[in-house]
Formats: sequence, C-alpha cells, structure tokens
Amino acid sequence: MSGIYWLASYPKSGNTWFRSFLFNLQQNGDAPADINEISTGKIGAHRDWLDEVLGFDTAELDHEEIDRLRPEVYRWSLRDNDVGYHKIHDAYTYPSSGHPLVSCEATLGALYILRNPLDVAPSAANHWNLNIDETIERMGQHDMALARNRKGLPSQVRQRLLTWSEHVLSWVDAPGLNRLIIRYEDMLTDPITTFTQASHFLQLPTDSARIEKAIRFSDFKVLSQQEADKGFKERPVKAKRFFLNGQSGGWRNKLTPDQVQRIITDHREVMFRFGYIDASGKPL
Amino acid sequence: MQYTGYNLLFQSDIPLPELLSHESDKNALPDVAIRFATIGSDGLPDGKQLGPFLWVSAKELWLQIPKVARFLVQGGNTILIDPEPGIDEDSLRVFLLGSALGALLFQRGYLVIHGNAIQIGNQCMVCVGQSGAGKSTLAAGFMKRGYPILADDVVPVDKACNALPGFPRIKIWQDVADHLKIDTSGLRRIRPNIEKFNYPLQQQFAAEPLPIRWIYILGSENINNIRFEPIQGMQRYPLLYNNTYRARYLEGMEIKPLHLQLCGKLASKIRLARATRSKSGFALDQLIDHLLADMASNP
Repeated sequence: MSGIYWLASYPKSGNTWFRSFLFNLQQNGDAPADINEISTGKIGAHRDWLDEVLGFDTAELDHEEIDRLRPEVYRWSLRDNDVGYHKIHDAYTYPSSGHPLVSCEATLGALYILRNPLDVAPSAANHWNLNIDETIERMGQHDMALARNRKGLPSQVRQRLLTWSEHVLSWVDAPGLNRLIIRYEDMLTDPITTFTQASHFLQLPTDSARIEKAIRFSDFKVLSQQEADKGFKERPVKAKRFFLNGQSGGWRNKLTPDQVQRIITDHREVMFRFGYIDASGKPL
Repeated sequence: MQYTGYNLLFQSDIPLPELLSHESDKNALPDVAIRFATIGSDGLPDGKQLGPFLWVSAKELWLQIPKVARFLVQGGNTILIDPEPGIDEDSLRVFLLGSALGALLFQRGYLVIHGNAIQIGNQCMVCVGQSGAGKSTLAAGFMKRGYPILADDVVPVDKACNALPGFPRIKIWQDVADHLKIDTSGLRRIRPNIEKFNYPLQQQFAAEPLPIRWIYILGSENINNIRFEPIQGMQRYPLLYNNTYRARYLEGMEIKPLHLQLCGKLASKIRLARATRSKSGFALDQLIDHLLADMASNP
C-alpha cells in the first residue's frame, strides 16, 4: 500500500504532540524519544521535498504556481510504495479547479486535530510573537497564511490557513475525504480512547500496552522537560517556549472577557458544532 | 548570438544578457547550442521518469516547467527550449540558466554543486545548504565586502577539483538587498512575478577557475552564537553528495559513477565544516567574519 496520511491542524492545536505520540508508538522504545529527533514524516510545505521531486526550484515560482504543482508532488509519492505520515497546516483548498492541494489520489486519509480556539489564541500569540488581540484578528482573516513573505526565501512555501473556522470546515467537510477528527481536549481527558482511535485510523498498532506507553512518553511534562533541558529545534525564534502549558481551559486566565467574546463572535458556528460553546454562546 | 560562461562558448537563439557576450566569430565552434524547438510532451522513450516533470536517460534530460517551457538537454552540447505560448523570456532564462544548464554540466562530466563559489585569495570557498539556509544572502554579503564571485547557485567542479566560473551575476532577494542597502530600482527581476533581482557583478566576477579549498554547509538553529563543526572521515562523502545540484538528475545518467568518484576526490581535499547560525535574525557580518577566521586558520 502507498499513499499519505495527513496530520492536519491549524497551528498550535496539538500537531507536534500527536507526532511525538506517533513517533514513540512507532519506535516502541524503552524511554521517551528525543523531541529533537521526532521524525514521523515530512512537512507538506517544505521546499526540499517539493524541489527534489519537481527537479526545479520553487524559489523561482510564485505562490500560486507552487500551489498548482503541490498535488503533483504528493501524487508522485505513490511510487514510494510506502505509507507516509506527513504534517500539514494548510487549509484544504483547491488551487486548480476541482483538484485539492493534497491530491485525492495520493491521500489515504487525514487525521484532523482540532483545539478550542480560545486556547489556540494565547498559544498562537506566543508562537507568532504577536499580542493576543492581533492574534485573534489573524485567526479571523480569510487571507491568513504562513510563510507568505515574497521578498525572501523561507524554508517552507506559503501555506494558506484561511480563518480558524474556515480551516476547520475545509478539512472536516471536504467532500470524499477519508478523515478522523480528534479534539485536543479529548487527547487530554480521554487519551487511551482518543489515541487508540487515531492509531486505528492510521493503520498503526493499537495494542493497549504500546498505546499507553507512547502516551506516557509523549506526555506534556516529558516534552516540556526535554525542551527545558535541551531546547527544541521547532521553537520559533521569538517564542520563549514551544511547549507552553499543554492544558485546556488555560484561556480563562489569559483572555479578557472582551477577547473571549470576539473569538466567539468570529467562530460561533464552528465552536458550537464541536462543543466549545453552548447554544447561547457560553463557553463550555 | 554567442556568449561565454562556465568556460564554454554558447550559441543561443534566446538573448542571455546575464552571460558575457562574445564577439561572433564564424570560425569559433560553439561548445553548446541553445535553440528553440518543438519538444514532445511524453518524456524520453528510452529514459527513466524521475519526477512528474522529469525524465533522464544516459545522455538526455527532459524537464517540463508547467506553463513555462519544456527543456531537452542533450549530450552535454545542446539545450532545446519549447516555450509555452505567451511566456516571457526572463522566465525561460531562469530555468535555462538553472536546471537546464546544471543538467548540461553534469552531462559534460563535471561534479555540480548546489551553492555559491567565492574567491578568497587564490582559492575558492563554496557555501552550500538547504533552501532558505542563506546561501545567496551570504554570497551577496561577500560581494558587498569586495570579494569576487565565481558562480551563483550552480557550481561545476572539474577533475582537478577546481570550481569553474559561471557568469557575472548573482540573484538577490529584495530582503537581502534591503539588508545590504542595495538599490533594486534599476535591476531586472529574474521573473516578472518574483521579487528577486539579477545583480550584475561587473568587476567583481572571478573569471578564472580556482581550486576549492573550503566548503561550508550553512544552517540555522535556535542557538545564540555561530557554531562551526568540522566534518571528518566517512561523514564527508554523503554530505557532499547531498549537496550535489539536483542529485536526482544523476539517477539515469551514464556519468553517475564519474560523479561519485569526483565527489570522493573532492571530499578528501577540502576543509568541510558546518557553519550554523542563530535562527534569530541573520547576523551576516558576524557570519562572514567567522568564516574568514576559519579559513585563515585552515589555509
């Protein structure tokens, strides 16, 4: 079998945590894997992957040209005769009419990791080195993208995120996509069930001892202690820490009532659908 | 029109203002012909498909840049271009002088490195690294300090481990130009839709082959200072090979064994080190100072 399982999420929604679990599950070692050695697969937007398969430089292409070529690169990986678990932050978009960015043919499925936007906001603010108000604004912008600088050469190509709500809906409602949606909050409160479900979906081992060990080895305290001891290569330069607090509900101490209200106003429908607010708009 | 570059004489259907023009001489036989032609869309019948847009056979390479052109590079002496209707010449030149020329240099038996070659004294330093590692920023920084540049992006190495001079221009991103206070208003964009410019080197072009003495693998990490790590022994060869210009091209080429041999020879001759800078901002002057110091202590 060959193809790609996408590990998809809006930034700061538990993707790295999940990949750490996945790596520990695959390694099945006697001690937690080093966070700086975690390699579960590639990053969908990494230039090195795209350039290598294309045979020419994405550095000489504009964002739209690159987006139109990305599905071809992913389709090419079908020849690897292997299943890949690759991280992606892009929204599920259609760069050329009818053809999704991730390529239908190449995609075996997508694990979509969802997190309460009230907790995403403070975490993303730290990650993007913005204040919380600016972050809330970005999370509501349709043209929000990562690595959008056109004046230089970031190591990743531009990734369109859309608004937080649009990002979620683009993946969870994508027609014909084999998907499993898991919530960050459920990874915390009911890890065994949630991670077992995810492993099953990804066609990985599901025996309980192995799952339990991988959960323990990728526990927030382990990841955060490793970062404190040795640093973490994926930490953005301007962020003090990558693994910030690993909780749900931390927003209650970090957001003002006005900020909470703005997030709810911007994302009401999707927040209700995934159980982050009640019908009256009150956070749960 | 005739041009010189990489120690070769080119006869080209498409103007190549980046190269040095050569007074046309009917008696001079060009080494390389660059011509417009119709190229089939099905790749190479006797070749191997190595990517969605790439085919390679023993002596040919077929490359398609969708919506730009198809290129057919043959026998180390011919590059055919089949442009898409309405495409601008600059876009053709970018891929012609990059991928297509790189493939041609492979076919001519050179080891081709993905990096920038800079003259230091009477020797040459080559900087390599992943996309976005800062290769072109560093080349521009050395250029700004008055060091001559041999080649930008595509560095061919001959059997004696000399780097060959390419042509007198470097490509500069707007960000780098801003940082180095280079005015881009009079410069031509490499393509109309990309904020990267052709910067003519004029006097600062090193036009003669030079022995390669140092290769630095650029990288960036979450560290506070610049870190140098010399690479010894068995590790040297794969690292050098990984920084080959589009190593994938080699898969179907008959010159692959020669390339591997040259790679080993070069690895045994040079100082190879990782130069890792801090991710937080590009302390360009500091990096150049450190590189110069490292070269001075390993002459």
